[in-house]
Order: sequence, then structure tokens, then C-alpha cells
Amino acid sequence: MTDQQRSVAIHVPVLARVEGEAALDLRIENGDIAELRLRIFEPPRFFEKFLEGHHYTEIPDMVARICGICPVAYQVTAAQALEKLFNVELSPWARAMRRVFYCGEWIQSHSLHIHLLAAPDFFGCNNAIELARIAPEEVRRGLRIQALGNELMDLFGARSVHPVGVRIGGFHGAPSLARIQKMRQKLRAALPEAEALIRWAASIPMPQDDQRFVSVATRHQTDYAIETGAIGTSDGLCIEADEFDAHFAEQHLPHSTALFSTYHGQPYLVGPLARLNLNHGRLPERINTLLAEAGFVLPSRNLFHSLLARAVEILLALHEALRLLEGYRVPDSPWVAATPRAGVAVGCTEAPRGLLWHRYEMDDDGRVVNARIVPPTSQNQGRIEEDLRLSLLNFGLGHADDALRLHCEKVIRNYDPCISCATHFLRMNVERG
Amino acid sequence: MSPVHILGIGSPLGDDQAGWLVVDALLAAGVQASGGIAIEKLDRPGANLIPLLGDAAWVILIDAIQSNSPVGSIRHWGAEDWPAYGRGLSSHGFGVLDSLSLARELGSLPPRLDLYGIEIGPVSPGEPVRVEIQAAAQQLARRIAGDLNASSEQA
Repeated sequence: MTDQQRSVAIHVPVLARVEGEAALDLRIENGDIAELRLRIFEPPRFFEKFLEGHHYTEIPDMVARICGICPVAYQVTAAQALEKLFNVELSPWARAMRRVFYCGEWIQSHSLHIHLLAAPDFFGCNNAIELARIAPEEVRRGLRIQALGNELMDLFGARSVHPVGVRIGGFHGAPSLARIQKMRQKLRAALPEAEALIRWAASIPMPQDDQRFVSVATRHQTDYAIETGAIGTSDGLCIEADEFDAHFAEQHLPHSTALFSTYHGQPYLVGPLARLNLNHGRLPERINTLLAEAGFVLPSRNLFHSLLARAVEILLALHEALRLLEGYRVPDSPWVAATPRAGVAVGCTEAPRGLLWHRYEMDDDGRVVNARIVPPTSQNQGRIEEDLRLSLLNFGLGHADDALRLHCEKVIRNYDPCISCATHFLRMNVERG
Repeated sequence: MSPVHILGIGSPLGDDQAGWLVVDALLAAGVQASGGIAIEKLDRPGANLIPLLGDAAWVILIDAIQSNSPVGSIRHWGAEDWPAYGRGLSSHGFGVLDSLSLARELGSLPPRLDLYGIEIGPVSPGEPVRVEIQAAAQQLARRIAGDLNASSEQA
């Protein structure tokens, strides 16, 4: 039997360096993929159900508990949705500081993923500790950038893990001018570090892969969309958040506790590379120059560019935070009052891992009747399976099981899946029969 | 920079509060956060633990452990020979020993490190802390307070 004809089964029982629990089953028969399933078996968390009956004032703090890495995304999306329903107009200060707060989360989450989770794959290392032996300065730099992101979150959220700063109408408090001035110095000092990170990320040899997929991300008329924007796709759709259900569908498949999302019946990509593909025209000139120097051409159809995309978004977030904190003044009030009303509240923002969509049906007293939360990882789940299939065929199914397993893990980690958020993540089982 | 940094690690899940209880017991016994001592509770800090390690001359770190020893038993390690470790509950699977190992690789461990583990049973949300854990926390707090006193007398 030739290598191409052999039948193999690979099972990755637990995938390391992702958040949550899942497994991958791969069965190869007669040199072709007979079965490939990403099985998310982490138990459902029923978070939407917990929210029912709770007052709108409790929602930002409750949804922050969905994720220890991207709580700001959940808070800001919920607040955006409810503020729209309650006709709350944020002050210019609060609008700007929501974006700064969100920048902190992008910086810490992206740096964590690049240095501790993804980069070891590309240096033949099993983990960040091994990577630190061969690239200590780069890992130290990554930890410094991550810590700065946490500090920025702490400024507005009182703590970086499960922050408590956001309220409907703005923030509970405003940082002092002295704290902001100190932060601006640190952000300015981090700019050359983030530029060096982009050069380093661009120098890492990546597998060549070319896949067709639809990128989906929020878009804004003037800014690189983060905390607000319409939903755009790479095939030309542009819709408001409340039109989501007309174009996107979620369905349950037996092998996963997360819902699979489709756009017009097809898998699609959300996250840093999807955002860059759609919104690179909104990057500051300095970043576009750096990307041109690094030879990074956008849009990209190679998901292995996701690590570099995260590095780019770190620099963008530093630039944005610095810009928005220029001329900072402590406001008379960090929030405006809200009056609840019954209706349906819908909102969407760009979590570090991609589009995050919330829908709340509220009663007259401002209590949640029902809630629906569509996180990035469940939206990417179908795309990950599609990517694995295409990427494995491109890689070659004749490789040894260990090489196949590592390749699959690299592909999956490109998406930085957060299974606890989606549980609605990897054990891998490969069968060659 | 505080010469001594005491870090109680835990979560709200039943016995997993062990590290926090030791901090509470130290504060109740009069060990004060002052110029020389920083003392704080951390909730599953992941890699955020690393910057806190390089900032002190002596770090005392207390966490709950599960090693099939009797519930309430106390284990101690220095800057080496940490226990074998399975996946923890930390975000993205990056736990306390991962952070310590990475800090060691980067030369960021403090000159003195005391790592204490309190053996706990199964944890679940809403469960009260077992009496064995409360007693172990008190006992460990007395031991750490004694170490701090001995250290200040030597100084």
C-alpha cells in the first residue's frame, strides 16, 4: 500500500494552548479525508438563561464573567445594545474612553496569544517556556506589552480580570489626569516595542496556504472598527446589527456543544485577519508603511497570517489609545442617566477574536426577558473545520500522525478559539482505515 | 518595590479559596501591608503573575493543590523542584507553575521564593470551605507570620 492509500485515524484528545475543552477526530481512508470533526464537548454554560429576569444595571458585570480574557468585549457590546434601546446618547468623553478601554483588551489578549499560545508552534517549541529559551527578549517584550494592556483595562475597569467600570450610560468613574498622563508615557514608550514585534512576527517563516473564504467584521466610516460599526463582509454586504439574523444563521450539530454559524449557508471568518482584510484602509499611515516594508499584502487568504494580524492590531490599539487620551480631561460626570423601556436591544463590537453580537429582549422595568449572545469562536467553528480540511490536503495527508496532529493544532490556534466563551475546545483522534 | 510580596491565589469555588483565606488570616493576625510588605489576593492570574514575581526580594505564594494527599495538608517548595502538574483552571491553560517556569526561564524569579500548597478536595460553585481548609489556612498563616518575624529579627 502506498502512503497515499493508507488509512489512518488521528485523535487529539485534548488540544493544548487553547481556552476550554475540545477534541479533533480525523479519519483518513484511501488517501482522502473521510471524516473531520472538531468536537466541542465543554458543557454548555447557559449564560443567556442566567441573564433572564436581571435588571439592566446588572448586565455589564454579569456578561463580563463570560470570559476572563475578553470581558470588555462582552461589557461594551451589552452596553451598546441597551443604550441604543434606551435612547442614551453617550458623552464624547465616554464614547472615546470605551474605545480606549477596548484597546487595552486587544493589546493584552493579542500579546498573550502571540507569545504564550501561537508563536511556540513556529519555532518547534512545545510551549512558551521552551520559546523563552531561544527568544527570551521577544517573550519579555510580549509580557511587557500584555501587562500594559492589562494596566489600560485596569484604569477604566478597576481591575483587568472581570472589570467593573462600565455602566449603561458611560463609566462608573473617571481616571485622574495624573494616571492618564502616566499611562500616555507608557503607551508612547511601547510604540517602538510594538513596531519591533510586527517586524519579528513578519520574519517568522509561515506555511503557505491560500484559501477562499468570506471575511466578516464590523466597519466604520472613519475608524478601524472596534467598539462600534456596521457589519461588513468581503463579498460586499453591509448591514446594521439588527439585520444579523437575515443573513447569518446558527445551528446545533450533534458533535458540538457550541452552535455552528453560517453566512448565507457558508462558513465564514471573523477575527483579526478578517478585520485587516476589510479595514486595512483605516490603518494609520505609519502602520501601512511598516506592513509594506514587511511585505505583508492585504487582503490575505493565508490564515497563518493571523499571528502577524494580531501584532498589527496591537500597534493600532496603542496608536488609538494615545490619540484618544491626548488632551484628556476629567469629565463632570462619567455617565449619563438612562431610562429603561421595553423592546429589543441589539449590538455588536469586535472582540479580540472577532465579531461579538448580542440581542436582549427587555421589559418595561428594564429586566431581561431573554438574551442571545453569538461569540466569535462559535462563528469560526465551521470555518476551522473547513480550514483544517483544505490545509491538511495542502500539507499532505502522507505525513506521520504526529506531524498531522501538530499541523492541525497550528491551524486551530490561528483562530485563538475561546471555547469557554463559545460553549458552547482539543482532543484529536485520527483514524486511518 | 516591596521587599516581601505575599500572594494568595484562589477563586470563589469552595476550597479553592484556600490562598485567599491565608491572606485573610495574616491580615487578622496583624501582618500589615506596609512599606516592606505587599499582600494581595489574586483570582487565577495566569501570566499576569510574572510581573509580580520580579518586583520583590521575597515572594510567598499560596495556592490550593490537588495531589491526592489528605485534605488540609500543607506542602512547601522553594525556587526549584516544583511538583508535576496537569492542566489547571487558569485562562488559556496558563497556570501558576507555567508562570513560575516561564519566569525562571527569563531570570525573573525573586531571590527568595516560598511556594505553599494547601491540599483541597473537589471544588464546586457555592460550596462552603471545608473546616480542614480553614484550619490549614490558619496554621499556614501562623507559619508565614513566624517566618516574617524571624526574617525581620535577622535584618
